[in-house]
Amino acid sequence: MNAAVYTQADKRTDLETLIGHIRPGDCLAIGGGLSSREPMAALRALIRAGTGDLELIGSAHGIDVDLLCGAGLVAASAESYVGFEQDFGMAPNYRRACESGTVAIRDSCCYTLVQQLRAAIAGLPFLPIRSVKGSGFLDLHPEFKTLECPYTGEELVLVPALRPDVAILHAHYGDAHGNLHIAGPPVADRLFARAARKVIATVEQIVSTEELQRLGVTVPYFYVTAVAEVAYGAHPTACYPFYGYDRPHTAHYHACASAGADRFEAEYLQRFVYGCPDHAAYLEAIGGSATLERLASWKDGPDAWMKLYD
Amino acid sequence: MTEPRGNRCSLGEALIYRIARTIEDGILAFHGFGSPLVQLALHVAKRTHAPNLVLVAGATYAVNPMPPFLAPTSNDWVMDRDAECQLDIEELFDLAAAGRLERMFLSGLQIDRWGNLNTTRLGVDALKLKLPGGGGGCNLACDARHLTLWTAAHRAVSDGRGARRFRLVERCDFITSSGHRAADGRTRKGMGLVGNGPDWLITELGVFDFDAAGHARLREVFPDTDTELVRANTAFEFPISEPVATTPLPPAAVCELIRSLDPLRIHERELRTEDRLRSFSGPDFRPERHA
Repeated sequence: MNAAVYTQADKRTDLETLIGHIRPGDCLAIGGGLSSREPMAALRALIRAGTGDLELIGSAHGIDVDLLCGAGLVAASAESYVGFEQDFGMAPNYRRACESGTVAIRDSCCYTLVQQLRAAIAGLPFLPIRSVKGSGFLDLHPEFKTLECPYTGEELVLVPALRPDVAILHAHYGDAHGNLHIAGPPVADRLFARAARKVIATVEQIVSTEELQRLGVTVPYFYVTAVAEVAYGAHPTACYPFYGYDRPHTAHYHACASAGADRFEAEYLQRFVYGCPDHAAYLEAIGGSATLERLASWKDGPDAWMKLYD
Repeated sequence: MTEPRGNRCSLGEALIYRIARTIEDGILAFHGFGSPLVQLALHVAKRTHAPNLVLVAGATYAVNPMPPFLAPTSNDWVMDRDAECQLDIEELFDLAAAGRLERMFLSGLQIDRWGNLNTTRLGVDALKLKLPGGGGGCNLACDARHLTLWTAAHRAVSDGRGARRFRLVERCDFITSSGHRAADGRTRKGMGLVGNGPDWLITELGVFDFDAAGHARLREVFPDTDTELVRANTAFEFPISEPVATTPLPPAAVCELIRSLDPLRIHERELRTEDRLRSFSGPDFRPERHA
């Protein structure tokens, strides 16, 4: 099925309306990666809305996928990595959800995902790859086929087009029309935006179209369904240059998640998600302006930046 | 954090140096994420014997960055500062698929004799432990021209129920990344995998290369380990390249470089507590004067 193009002049909306574009059972591609530029405020709003039964796809993720697993919204995961690297190790809620069987494990790998997205982007039924042969992924993905290449005779693996229902992104800047500017590594965001049926985005700041053109358009407006201005919308992940990664908050998150599902619900979800009716309340809950000033201190030089990792 | 004194090098520094020595000058190499020992090895190589290395950083896909310090999270702006240019996810993986990625670095919670890796799950039928997953390791194990494997947790540990849990296993519960042969003996070539597979496996106990059959073969040990210790901590039998050498240790200047690149000693998080205390006399070590 072809995806639509979105041409409304003004796509600005609030966080709750933005999240309303996600339906139960959707395949969701979450932008950003690891500790950077995850659309965390939007995911918290999604949890408050209770939209579940989701299938998640992505490359390298951490707290975003873990949080949705901890809130019980995930039915299947086709991520290629979910964890906290050497910082905190494994993702406790994700592990628990996989091991209890509530999340179906459909692990993938980065290039497999890239090729599946590119097939969707180009409107092709599949793209070939050479890898994956000999690995356990062929058993996890019975939809992958093999084909003898008619040109070279070599055996190729065909991976089908993957069109997420919704790509949910957090960008630095957007305009009313829906153009997005991302500073720094785009991770898979541009692929997600081009492949998905709908793109919904939070942005640190909405600026004029002229200003956005000056900054450079990372995702053109016609892919984008709706945009909401949510400053600090990636917290506790980083959205440089505005703010760095909130390691103490993430440490607290990980400790709560490691303590079990009930403690995670009582000590994290209640306090930072269900107990915060909106994003402003969340920003107060994480320590208000003192926290936000600390996270901006990376700009003061390497010594100050290193202190953020203490 | 442990800071070795004088010219002694830590185990972490020795591992970084040994991984760095597998990196050729003038190639394109990529470190993934969650791998501080490898990240540092690439920076050490670039600043010593491999100045023409095209260093692509994991997660940010930055080329030749100069991080002011190593962060514990790979997709952080710290890690792509002063990069010469930026790739994105599809460009890096396309380079690999086209045979331009000469060397990649992979690890696993299980590693078998052929260099197959498992970073996906423990438990063959019933799931015992969901691991974080392999990122792009499955693709790159096929597409990269050469692989350096590493683990800082070779030493088998008790599973708390009287058995020992091996890292170097008889058989992987799941194959995330392919080595030289499948468990049923099929070769890489037979499976149509194009890259040459692993040529090094570097652990905190020793260094293996791979013989003509594609089997891990012990080649080096550390000054405080020996063949018997490696054997006792490995679930499979392995050939030995006689005489087993002592792993070359980093000169003091390389240790200084590593300390300047990683002031937060993030790389030590890959090491177990007891291994953080291991240190060796480097090649240019001068004994301290005792009264």
